[in-house]
Amino acid sequence: MTTPSDGLQRPPAWVAIALALALGFALTCLVSRTPGIAFHALLTGPMPQLRWSDETGWQLMRLTRVGTVIEDTVTLSLLGLAVLFGFRARQFSIGADGQFFLGALAATWVGVQLGGFPLLGLPVAVVAALSAGFLWGGIAGVLKARFGASEIVTTLMLNLIAVQLFRAVVTHAFHDSGIAYIATPAVPTPALLAPLLPRTHVTALVLLVPLATALAAWLLARTTLGYELRVVGDAPAFAAQTGVPVARTVALSMAIGGAFAGLAGFHVSHGLLKRLPVDLNPGLGFEGLVVALLARNEPRAVPLAALLYAYLKTGAQAMELASDVSREMVLVIQACIVLLVVSQRLLPQRWLQVSWLKRKAPR
Amino acid sequence: MSLESTSFALVAATLVAALLRAAAPIILAALGGLIAELAGVVNVALEGLMLLAAFFGVIGSAYALQWFPGAAPWVAPLAGLLAGLVAAVLGALLLAVFHLEFGADLIVAGIGINLLAAGLTVFLMVTLTGDKGSTAALASAVLPVLHLPGLAGWPALDTLLNGDGRGGHPLLVWVAFGAAALLSFLLYRTRLGLRLRAVGENPVAARAGGLPAKRLQYLALAASGVLAGLGGLYLAMGYLTLFQAEMSAGRGFLALAAVFMGGRRPLGTVLAALLFGASSVLATQLALFDIPSQVVYMVPPLVTIVALVVFSQRRAAAQRRLAAASLHQWRAAPQAAPQGETTS
Repeated sequence: MTTPSDGLQRPPAWVAIALALALGFALTCLVSRTPGIAFHALLTGPMPQLRWSDETGWQLMRLTRVGTVIEDTVTLSLLGLAVLFGFRARQFSIGADGQFFLGALAATWVGVQLGGFPLLGLPVAVVAALSAGFLWGGIAGVLKARFGASEIVTTLMLNLIAVQLFRAVVTHAFHDSGIAYIATPAVPTPALLAPLLPRTHVTALVLLVPLATALAAWLLARTTLGYELRVVGDAPAFAAQTGVPVARTVALSMAIGGAFAGLAGFHVSHGLLKRLPVDLNPGLGFEGLVVALLARNEPRAVPLAALLYAYLKTGAQAMELASDVSREMVLVIQACIVLLVVSQRLLPQRWLQVSWLKRKAPR
Repeated sequence: MSLESTSFALVAATLVAALLRAAAPIILAALGGLIAELAGVVNVALEGLMLLAAFFGVIGSAYALQWFPGAAPWVAPLAGLLAGLVAAVLGALLLAVFHLEFGADLIVAGIGINLLAAGLTVFLMVTLTGDKGSTAALASAVLPVLHLPGLAGWPALDTLLNGDGRGGHPLLVWVAFGAAALLSFLLYRTRLGLRLRAVGENPVAARAGGLPAKRLQYLALAASGVLAGLGGLYLAMGYLTLFQAEMSAGRGFLALAAVFMGGRRPLGTVLAALLFGASSVLATQLALFDIPSQVVYMVPPLVTIVALVVFSQRRAAAQRRLAAASLHQWRAAPQAAPQGETTS
């Protein structure tokens, strides 16, 4: 992103993260009887453990948690990229949730229908997920571009509709009557997607992260569309004056973001869950939003931000198990990270202006 | 009056009474959104501020009940009211500090405050009650209800003004409409309102004109916190008498939508908020028929989108007309100017 014009440096991201963690620790000390144990679990819980036992020798323990971190990193990277596309065109589209739900549903449906042909089924499922997300994101895009309807509101409402649509389809049309809870039939998993780590769902789909990140970075930096998108985001008036098709670019930014969210849905349906329960939890889209903010809208920083987020999320579960602190504490830390990451400076302007005035003439 | 028309009036009155109650929290939060928007600091954190007020209202009143069991009956609701409002105002001021002092993007910071509110309320709820879903285990207070006396002879009117059970609407329903009138007066009939709007229109010009722009924006966000807080308090200490995780359920965002749909004017904002209330009443009415609940839940967001599109379309058309008119004037002007004539 652009640097602030007043010449003051933005605080680096690690300062924001360290400050937020410190705040979280202070909060833990206030409510917990064992803040040390709680925070230790939060920070080291997701790490694997090497353990010695006489029967088996050295063994790597807690691989499940490592697996969870990696799985979440994949999903969140894709969702982060999804949010980022809208943000770069200055569209505060928060519709990743709905696009993700419909992408997952479309991928599952194709996966089940083409269960007998894994070589055909997998790519078609990807295409289905991409298109579902693209179309659902495109609705909000067209509503904004054609009618000027605020994307904050439309995407939020489309999220609610998509989740209900998902539940209606899973409850009434597309469910497996052979199981005790309401869920879609399971996607038969081809050998291609066998777990890479034992007892986890980490599969070859991990490769989606570098691929999608490279694709997003290429789209934004090397194509006409990406250029138009950045111009519309950074200088909308200039874009309109110089003949950039603003409306089309705005609509496409949201639709392309939707395609990435749909891809995240594909990862969840084919990589993680295999069958989608009717009460699949909404809210992942908002986590993608935090990831995009944390990466400061830079595609290449998204995987790292997603990893940090996934790490904290898994650590929070470890903390809840190990101590009396509930995992929602991490939401507070994440909120602080967001607030601090988007700040241009960490001291009130007034205090900084004194030293600033000495160097430059006043505005 | 015949029997049919009487019962029809009664049904209509029941629906309108339900509408008033469903719309009240959205109206309150939307007014908060309006004052912030007019002062040039759009408040995306309404949702989180509602949550903060709802939670701290319940906690404040519950602890007042525990600590002062023998106190007068108005102590606990008042404690809840104050705790909720203080929490919401602090949340709004936090947003103001991050935007005005630390230079954070207002919309992103607003989303951050929403996250903070969602996390903090559940986190504190688990710490205080051990329950993740709601504070049902805590006895908390209800804000007062206003019963208008002397209407027993007119059943329809009584139902309209005192609610379905004719026990009276929560006081905050009346406060919502009172606040709308008051805010309208404040914004368009007082010097303070003019200054707030001037800052919102063009902060640089306002500052050049000697207005304390930053202080006015702090004030607007704090007022926004009070109004959104009242909306949240209504949810937890009127509509229900407990706090539930995520109980604002998107009303803060609906409120924000109401501000834009209402053309950034008090009356329009209230009407838009009433429309949102109506769509949720419609959903409850549809639920009485044999329709899948998922379809019913789709109604309010669909109505919102359609309404938003229609209103945005009309506003865009009005702007185009304005632009075309001024272009017409500009084209006509060169010939007209030397003679000193005015063309329109």
